[in-house]
Order: sequence, then structure tokens, then C-alpha cells
Amino acid sequence: MLLSPGARLRRRLAELAGRGILCSITSVAALAVLAIIFFIARDAVPFFAQVGVREFFLSPEWYPAHQPPHFGAAAIFAGSVLVTAAAVLLAVPLGLFAALCMSDVLPFGVRQILKPVIEMLAAIPSVIYGFFALTVVAPLMQNAGSWLPGQFEIASGVNALTASLILGVMALPTIVSVSEDALQAAGRELREGSYALGATRAETLFKVVIPASVSGLFSAVLLGVMRAMGETMVVWMASGNAAQIPQPWYNLLQPVRTLTATIAGDMGEADQMTGSAHYHVLFAMGLCLLLVSFACNLAGEWIVARQRKRLRGG
Amino acid sequence: MRLRLRKLMDHALTAGGYLAIGGMALFLLWVLVPVFSKGFGAYVFRGTVEHRRMMLGEFGRGDLDRLRAELAEVWRAREPVYQAVAAFERELDAMPAARRKVLKPAFREVREGVTVLLGPEPGVPLPALTRRLYGQTRWEKAREKADDILFEETWEYSDAGSRRVLVPRAPQFEGTALAPVFDSVERNLEKMMRPRLTVYPRFLTDRSIDAHFFGGIGPEVLGTLYLSLGAMLVAVPLGIVAAVYFQEYAKEGPGVAFLRSCVNTLAGVPSVVFGLFGLAFFINTLRVSPGKSVLAGALTLALLVLPTVIRASEEAIAAVPRAFKEGAMALGAGRFRTVATVILPAALPGILTGIVISMGRAAGETAPIIFTAAVSVGQMVKPSEVLSQPTPALSWNLYNLCTEHEAVEELRHVQFGMAATLVLIVLALNLAAILLRARVARRLKG
Amino acid sequence: MNEEAKREGVHLEARGFSVFYGAHEAVCKVDLAVPCGLVTAIIGPSGCGKSTFLRAINRMNDLIPGCRAAGDLLFDGQNVYGPEVDAAVLRRRVGMVFQKPNPFPKSIYDNVAYGPRLHDRCTRGELDTIVEQSLVNAALWDEVKDRLHMNALGLSGGQAQRLCLARALAVKPEILLMDEPTSALDPKATARIEELIVQLRGRYTIAIVTHNMQQAARVSDRTAFFYEGNLVEFDATETLFTRPREKRTEDYITGRFG
Repeated sequence: MLLSPGARLRRRLAELAGRGILCSITSVAALAVLAIIFFIARDAVPFFAQVGVREFFLSPEWYPAHQPPHFGAAAIFAGSVLVTAAAVLLAVPLGLFAALCMSDVLPFGVRQILKPVIEMLAAIPSVIYGFFALTVVAPLMQNAGSWLPGQFEIASGVNALTASLILGVMALPTIVSVSEDALQAAGRELREGSYALGATRAETLFKVVIPASVSGLFSAVLLGVMRAMGETMVVWMASGNAAQIPQPWYNLLQPVRTLTATIAGDMGEADQMTGSAHYHVLFAMGLCLLLVSFACNLAGEWIVARQRKRLRGG
Repeated sequence: MRLRLRKLMDHALTAGGYLAIGGMALFLLWVLVPVFSKGFGAYVFRGTVEHRRMMLGEFGRGDLDRLRAELAEVWRAREPVYQAVAAFERELDAMPAARRKVLKPAFREVREGVTVLLGPEPGVPLPALTRRLYGQTRWEKAREKADDILFEETWEYSDAGSRRVLVPRAPQFEGTALAPVFDSVERNLEKMMRPRLTVYPRFLTDRSIDAHFFGGIGPEVLGTLYLSLGAMLVAVPLGIVAAVYFQEYAKEGPGVAFLRSCVNTLAGVPSVVFGLFGLAFFINTLRVSPGKSVLAGALTLALLVLPTVIRASEEAIAAVPRAFKEGAMALGAGRFRTVATVILPAALPGILTGIVISMGRAAGETAPIIFTAAVSVGQMVKPSEVLSQPTPALSWNLYNLCTEHEAVEELRHVQFGMAATLVLIVLALNLAAILLRARVARRLKG
Repeated sequence: MNEEAKREGVHLEARGFSVFYGAHEAVCKVDLAVPCGLVTAIIGPSGCGKSTFLRAINRMNDLIPGCRAAGDLLFDGQNVYGPEVDAAVLRRRVGMVFQKPNPFPKSIYDNVAYGPRLHDRCTRGELDTIVEQSLVNAALWDEVKDRLHMNALGLSGGQAQRLCLARALAVKPEILLMDEPTSALDPKATARIEELIVQLRGRYTIAIVTHNMQQAARVSDRTAFFYEGNLVEFDATETLFTRPREKRTEDYITGRFG
């Protein structure tokens, strides 16, 4: 039953080797992130070195193909922010409401059917949504200009509103399912405590359950924001791709351009000139997107850690 | 009174919730129903004799004798039209200059319309572009083109805005040699085109002819298949190993926490950034291929789906009852053997679910493959070329077909066909995953 | 069996009352009169329906899909399951403390004030008074009076359960239902809760479900023994524990099963 020292050593070495191999392979998967940062930054830095930071962030003049080229991406940043914000504004209330409904209002059977439906909604590829936006929503929106009251002049069906609407729908399933999990996690006992004091369902949900799930709901919103911000195809096809800041800034009926659409659209040509400033500026945009998504991730992890601490009675 | 208000809010919440859910379900239908119904039209439609001619000419499919008989009949209906066009051309030359100036542009449009509708006249030298070798292959398109011949589109401007107006051409050419054309097109279109219910299942596998004017979406379907399978080939081993490490071997500490954090961060990277990385790393740095290739695209997609595979595998492994593991170890099995022979098999359905979902995701993604693998026009990539050749793909080509293509409106049916095929593939994979998951849940509950 | 109860005034009466989970009858045609102002204990082995019966009194079973009641459950002469009875209003008059303390993730003050805020329009001063009174009645005031606005999740198990008691008392219920309130607590905390129950006697009608017979003997005036959904015996506590009339009761008390 006892092993000889040699055998023991061999077994320990084998276990260490096994653990070492697994760890290295796992590290490859994990270190992909670091590689992404490195290589995106590597191709982005030459742009900042060549052209500088001010023009990129502050100037709205985006003429990369002119002589001399202008790389003012302020309008594009504005486009991304506008479209993401509008999408989130649409998706969050609707999504939270739907999650509330799913977790506490709907009967169990309906909920079981609904969950896969929401997963399917999430699984539809973004290019299909873009196609839908282009073929159905854009013409509708263009015609809407004629029969809506007031002075709505919808020049083109592809504009920030179309893109935001579809983006909102795309972010919805994420927000709904994560929120629903958070609401469920609040627990039955909490709800029973509130009902036993004579609260109605609405009161229980809004005064007890939602406050208890706030961090989970926040994570859901964050995930929705990340989904909307990182989306490429829908905005490329449905936002109009005009690098201009809408006048006034909240006018969603004008076409805009987002960072993701610019990268996707311009790289086709820029690819021919690997090494040119145009090529590098697209990487600079990619770097910005990457950094923002990192920030969101960090925020999410911080929230989760704080919630865990709070539950332990901080 | 206060109670009534509270009750009212309660009911409002219930109603609002049902509305939100209903709204989402309706939206899903709004998107999917047209995609499927029009997409169905790419596979089942009313095809004309031109379609059958094209099938024979380009793919070698069809009954030559029957087609010849059909063509003979069709010719009888078409002959007057071609003759009228030729006759009017002679008449035009003999016309006074003023009249000629008025009629010539309209005539050119009519002649063009006839060629587009019926195809080139037999005996005339064949045009270079394949798309002009045949007339309209689909009946609904034929009707559209017939309308183009019969009517002229003009705009009427008034105070209320502009309006599209269709003006019949026939009156303009009354009394000329061209007049019979309008009459024939209006009354004998069916005899000229002979539409018939056509089932074209090979739309899925046929190569495309002349930028999708004819043929099918085979290259795209194959490309999507290559890319998603390739992505899984890389992501699955990596993902399972990582999941096993996290669940069974890793001791919680700062290093492992860092690795987990990395995986979570990877999940949040925008898809277009993956594309940039693929370009910068796999193609420009590692040079896995001289330019875009299936290999580079698959590698990029693998990174995209890796976090999902890891997460699903981790959940599956964590769900394996401890009793299994303890039972095996109590019998003297080492850790590796326990994992390989007991835990992984038990976790397999859950892992499979994650794989299937990730495959669906990889199949639908566009941004990562734009710079790394996708090409707008191309033939089916042979397996031997996978490491070095780019490929068309359903997701990319759908985008391309409905935006940058030269004939966006003409090829709507192909776009819908692609969209429907892609959605079907993805939804089928997801459905399989859901069913798998239900089976796993039932099994675990005993 | 219930003559004594009738003399003392019956607060709650079950007549042929049953609770079904789907087709399964968890509580079978129970006839029970809970006397006013006294502590009534409900004992029995696991799965005998005592918790189900208790939860039926304030209609907490409504939250469980597929659960329905039959027969009469009269509270002050009115059928609790009658169509005109609103559950939210009922639960104000019939409070409940659960097995596992479930304080809301709010401040201690807000926990206790939750009920009153729902039902009445109170000024801040009135709320302060209610909160203080309830915490005093739950013997928690001295321990938390300086940290009323701290998160209630930081309380120990025993403190949290007393907080839940204070929370239930704050809406001034007539009946207080307690579903195994000390089974998740350590002995010291258990003793404090039992002290409280004895103190609250007289001011409230208390029905307590417990699997601990000694506890029932210590705190209650009347005891009901449930077995497999049926009410086997209901008598004064001392009588039930020293001279039980039914054999099953005797078997349970002497530990032959359960």
C-alpha cells in the first residue's frame, strides 16, 4: 500500500506535469486577450505617433482619402455614443419589465416556453437583423415621414433611429435573461417576507426584489451596453454611414456613422495599403472600442465583487 | 382608497409585462416570417422557360428534348415581338429626324426591355455576360420586366410632393411597326415564358453563376460550414482543457483569478476587433496564409467562441455530481483518469450543448471574417485549398448582396434565400442545443 | 374538545378545512378552533401538513401554483378564502415569521417600517414611534438603537429573526403565525425567542409550528398534534403531554416515531 520513494516522486512529477500542461494550455486561451491588446495597440500606436491625438478625438472632419487626409473621428465617436445610448434607453426599461414579468408574473409553463424564444431571438445573427432593417424598417421609416404629423422630414430611412431600434432589440435578450437570473436569485424567502406583510405583487417587486437584485440588474445593463456598442453589421447597414454629428445632437432621424461600421467599411480599401495612416487609424478606433469594453468588464466585475461582499453582511 | 391604487398598480404591472413579452414575440415574428416566406421563394418559385434553358445550359440538367419542344412553342409566341423590333428599327432609320429623336430613346428602352425579358434573339451573336444569355428565369421578375416594357416611369411633382406615375408606352408607338410588341407582351406573356412551379432544392448547393444572377448559394453555404467547423476544431479542445483545468485542477488564487478574468474579458471584446486582431496577428504577423483564408477566419472565430465553450464546459463539469468523482477516486483512480473516464463522459451532453450553440454563433458572425476570410465572389473552396484560399460565406455575402452589389434590387430573392438558409442553420443548431439541454436536465433529475 | 376554546373566545376556526397540492390532500378536513390571546402550538412529524395548515391561514399558499383550499377557515366569522377577502388586507391582520430569517436588504429601520409604510400614511414621527415600539416588543431595541440605519444583513441569525418579528409586529396584526421560528437558530437565540413568545402572549393570538416538542411544552397554552394531514388531537398543552387521549399522540410524544 505504501509507495516507494521513487514511485512517489514519479507520481508527484506526473501530477505536476499534468497540471503544468493543463495550465499552459489554459493560459493560451486566457492570454489571447493580452495578445489582442498588444497587437491592436501595436498597429494603433503608429497612427497616434504620426497624426497625434487631438485631431482624432476633437475634429469632426473625416476625410481619410483626401489629399491631405483628415482623420477627425469626433463625429464617428458621437455616432457610436448616440446609437448605443438610444438603443440602451430603449432596451433597458423594456428588458427589465419583461424580466420582471417572466420571473414573477407569468405562470411557470409560459416561462418555460418563453426562455427558449428569447434565446432564439439572441441567436439570430446580426447580419439578418441588418438585412431586416435595410429591407423592411428603412422603407417604412422613409414613408413614415409622409404620414406623421408635424414637421418630420425623414430624408432617408437609414438613420440613427433605425439603427438604434434594431440595436435595442438585439440587446434585449441579453438584458432580459441576465436580469431574470438576477431577479430569481433574490430568492423565494425574500418575496414571502414581503407578501406576508400584506404587500401586493407590484410592491414586493419594486420595493424588495429589485433593490435586492440591483447589482445583477446593473450587470445586465452593462452587458446590454457592451452588446450594442460592439455591434457592427446592423449599424453598418442601417445607420446611413454619414460621418457627421446630427443637428441638433439628439436628432436621431439623421444618418450617423459608428466606429464599428467605419472599421468594417474602410478596412476593405485600407487593407490594400497596409502600413498607411488609414490602416492605422482604423486600429486606433479598434483600440478605443477595446478599452471601453475592458472598462465595462472591469465595472461589471467590481459590481459582482461588491455584491458578494454585501451579501456576507458588509 | 389607497388599497385600490395599490391594486391598480399591480394590475398595470401585470398588463405591462404581458405587453412587453407580446411585443418581443411579435417582433420576432415580424423579422422571421418575411425572411422565411420570401426565402422559401428562392427554393420554390414559378420558373420560366428561361430558367429551364439556363439549368440546361449552365448545369447540364434537364430534359433536352422536352425543352426543345417547349422552345419551339415559345418561339411561336415570341417571333412577332422580335420581328416587330427588327422591323421598327428599319422604320426608325427611314423616319424624319424630328420624330426619330423623340422615339429613339423610348425604342431603345423597349428593345433593352425585350432582351432583358426574353433573352437574346436566337441567331444573334451571344453577349459576353452570362446574365444576358438568358431572359428572366422567375415569373414574378418576368412580370416586372414586362411592366417596364409596357409602361414608362415618370415623376409627377405637385405641392404635396412627388409621386411616381406609370405612363403606358403603347400610344406613343401606335401605328408603327413596334405596336404589336406591346400587344404581345400584354397578352401573350405566359405563352412566351411558360411559367411552371419549380422546386429548386439545389439552390443550397449549386455554385453561383455571374455574381448570383443564376445558380445557387453553394459556395457560401460551404464557406460557412468550413468556417464554423474549423472554429470549433480549434475552440473545442482548447475550451474543454481550460474548463477541466479551472474546475478540477486549479487552486484558487491570484493567478487563477487572473486567468478567469482574462476569459471573461475575452467574452466582451467586440466582434470587429476580433477581425482586426485576426488581420494583424494571424495574417500579417504569423502569416498563416498569404492573404485572407479559411484558416485565418476559422482561427479568429475560434477565439470569438472560446469563452462560450469554456463557460458551458465549466458549467457541465460543475454539474457532475460529486459522488461520481468521489466514487472513482475511492477506487484508486488518479485525478487525470477520473476526469477522463468519469467526469468528462458525464459532462458530455452539457459540453455538447455549448459546442452546438457556439457553432451557431460562429456561423452567423460577419465582422470577424470580413478581413480574414471572406470574399464577395468566389467558387466553392476545395478542402485542399482551405489553408490558403478565402471563401464566400453566408453572413458576409448576404451583406454584400444587399448593399454593395451592382444589382441589389434584382437579386432580392437570392438575398432572402441566403438569409433564410442562414437563419435556419443557426436556429436548427440552437434548437438542437435546447433539446439537448432539456435531456440533460431530465437525466440529472433522475 | 373545543369547549374551553369557545369559552375563551375563538379567534380562528377551521371547519372541515383541507388543502390540496394538485390532487394530493396535504391537510385533510381539519376542525380546529384557535383561541384568542393564547399560544397554540402545532406539532407533528415531518410532512404531516402542519406548515401547510399554518401557511393557509394567511393565504401564503396562494403563491404556490396548483395549491387550493376547501372547506371553511373562519377568521372573526369571515371565511379567509371567501371571494371578497383580499389577501393583502388579510396579511396585515395575520402576520408571519418564517423559519429562516429573511430580513430585507435594507436598513433595520426600513425593514421594520416596511409594513406600516405600505398600509398607512404615517408621518415620520409616527413611523419612528412604531419602529421603536416594535423593536422593543421584539427585545431588539437596545441592541440596534444606535445603528437603525445600518444594513440589516449584518445582523446575526438570532438578531435577524427578532428583526423579522419586529417587522411583523409593526403592522399590529391580531394573529401572529410562526413557522418553526427557531429551527435555524442556536440555543441561546432560541431561548430569547421563546421568552418573547411568552411575553407577547395575551396581546396577540399566536400559532407556532414546531418540530421541537419541548419547545411546544415550554411556550404554548394549547397544542395540536397533526399526523399525515389529519388533526389527531387538540388539547391544553399540559394535558396533551401528560395524559394524551390518542395512541398516536402518545407514540409521537414518547418518541416512538417522528
